[in-house]
Amino acid sequence: MAKQKTIDNRQRAIGDERQSSASFIQAIGAIVWKDLRAEFRSWELISSMLVFSLLVILIFNFALELDVKTRQSVTAGVLWATFAFAGTLGLNRSMAIEKDRGCLDGLLLAPVDRSVIYFGKFFSNLAFMLIVEAIVLPVYSVLYNTNLFQPGLLLVILLGSIGYTSIGTLLAAMSVQTRTRDILLPILLFPVVFAVLLAAVKASGGLLDNSTFADVSFSINLLIAYDVIFVAASFMLFDSIVEE
Amino acid sequence: MNQKPLALKVLDIVSLILLLAAAYLAIVVAPTEKVMGDVQRVFYFHVGTAWVALIGFVFTAVLSVIYLITKNLKWDRIQVAAVEVSVVFFLITIILGSIWARPAWNTWWTWDPRLTTAAIAELIYIAYFMLRQGIDDPDKRARFGAVYALIGGLSAPITFFAIRLFRTIHPVVIAGANAEAEGNFSMSGDMLSAFFFALFAFTVIFIDLFWNRIRLGEFQNEVEEMKLKASY
Amino acid sequence: MFFQEITPDTSGYMIAGYATTFIILAVYVASLFLRQRNLKQDMDMLAELEKPAEKPAKPVTKRAKKK
Repeated sequence: MAKQKTIDNRQRAIGDERQSSASFIQAIGAIVWKDLRAEFRSWELISSMLVFSLLVILIFNFALELDVKTRQSVTAGVLWATFAFAGTLGLNRSMAIEKDRGCLDGLLLAPVDRSVIYFGKFFSNLAFMLIVEAIVLPVYSVLYNTNLFQPGLLLVILLGSIGYTSIGTLLAAMSVQTRTRDILLPILLFPVVFAVLLAAVKASGGLLDNSTFADVSFSINLLIAYDVIFVAASFMLFDSIVEE
Repeated sequence: MNQKPLALKVLDIVSLILLLAAAYLAIVVAPTEKVMGDVQRVFYFHVGTAWVALIGFVFTAVLSVIYLITKNLKWDRIQVAAVEVSVVFFLITIILGSIWARPAWNTWWTWDPRLTTAAIAELIYIAYFMLRQGIDDPDKRARFGAVYALIGGLSAPITFFAIRLFRTIHPVVIAGANAEAEGNFSMSGDMLSAFFFALFAFTVIFIDLFWNRIRLGEFQNEVEEMKLKASY
Repeated sequence: MFFQEITPDTSGYMIAGYATTFIILAVYVASLFLRQRNLKQDMDMLAELEKPAEKPAKPVTKRAKKK
C-alpha cells in the first residue's frame, strides 16, 4: 500500500516536471504566436524594417561609389551594417508595442517564469529579423549581381541574427522603459554587440570570397560561442529589468 | 553633508603631490628614449591611467553583481563613482595613446585590437550614463545601470579577443602597419622607476577622486530626499 | 660619414600629452567642486523653505546662480 503511494508520488512528480517544461515551451509559443499574428495583420514592423534596409543599401551604394570589384569585398560589411540598423528598428517597435498596449504588464502578471517572456520576445524578434533578411538577400543579389544564396552564408546570417537579437531583446526591454526610448537602443546595443557583428562579417566575407574552410569555420565557431554566452547572460539578467 | 574627513583632505594633497612627482620623474629624471624622443615620456602616464581605469571597469562589473544581489543603493552610488572616474582616466589613456601614436606610427589612430576595444569600452561606459539619465526612479536606475555595466563588462573582453583572434588569422602584410612592431623599447632603471611610480601615483589619485565622487553621490542623495520631503 | 642616429625632437607631443592630462584632471576636479557647490546651494534653499512653516508655502523659484 505504502509502496504504491510512493510510486504514485514519483509518477506525479515526473508528470509535473514534464508538464512544467511542456507549459514552458507552450507559454513561449503563445507569446511568439501572438506577436506573429499581430504582425501579419498590420505588417508594421516588417514593412518598416524592409523599406529601411533597402534605403540603407541604396545609401551605401552612393556613399561608397563602388566598382564591381570593390563591391565584392564590402558586401559582407554592407549587409551586416544594414541588418544591424534595421534590427534596431524592429527591436524598438516590438518592445514599444508591448509596453504601449500594456501587454508587458499583462505578461508579468501571468503565472509564468520571467524567462518565458524573454524567450518569447527573443524568438518573435528573431523571426522578424530573419524574414526581413530573407527578403533583403535576394534583392541585394539582384541589384549587385552577386549570388548570396550559399548555405554557409545563410547559416552565418542565422547565427549572427541570434547573437544580435539575444542581447538586443534585453537592451530593448531596458531602453523602452526609459525617457529617451528609441534613441537609446543603438547607443546601448552597438558597442556591446560589436564582437558578434565582427565575427559575422568575417565569416560572411570569408564565404563570399571563398576563403579556406579553416578560417570560415573558426569564425562560425566563434559566433556560436558568442550566441551561447549572450543568450545565457540575457535570459539570466532579464528578470532584473522587468521587476515592478 | 558632513565635513570632509581629515583623511580625505590629506589624500587630496598627497594625490596632487604624487601627480606632480610622477610628472617630474617622467619628464626630468627618466632618460630620453633614443628612437622616439621625448614623446615616449607620455607612455608613463598612458599606462598608469590605463591600468587603473581597466581595474576600475572590472571593479564596476563586480559592483553590479553586488548591487543586484543586495539591492542596497549604496552599491549603486559606488558604481556610479567607479564608472565616472574610470571613464575620465580611460579618456586620458586614449588621448595620450593617440598623441604618442602620431610621431611613433605616423598616424593618430589605428584600428588594432587594443585601440578598437578601448574605443568601444569607453563608449559602453558613456552609454551607461546615458541610460541612467533617462530613468527617474532611483531603484530602476540602479538596476538597469547594474545590468548594463555587467553586460558591458562581459562584452569588452569578448570584443578584445574577437578582434585579436581575427588579426592573427589575417597577418598584416603591409610593411610598417603592424602596430605591435614599431614603438617597442626596453626600459632601463630610471625608466622603470618612473613607470612604477606613475602607476602608484595614479592608483592613489584614482582612490582620491573615487572617494570624493562617492561623497558627492551621497550628498546628491541627501538633497534628493530633502526635495521629496519638501514637495509633500 | 656620421652613422649616429639622431633622436627626433618630439617634445612638442610630450608637452601636448602632459598638458592634456593635467587639463582633463583639472576639469574633472572642477566639475566635482562645482557640482558640490550647486548641491550646497540647493540644500540651503531647501532648508530655508522648511524654516518658515507658519507662513503659506512660497512658490519654489530657482535662485539665480551667482557667478
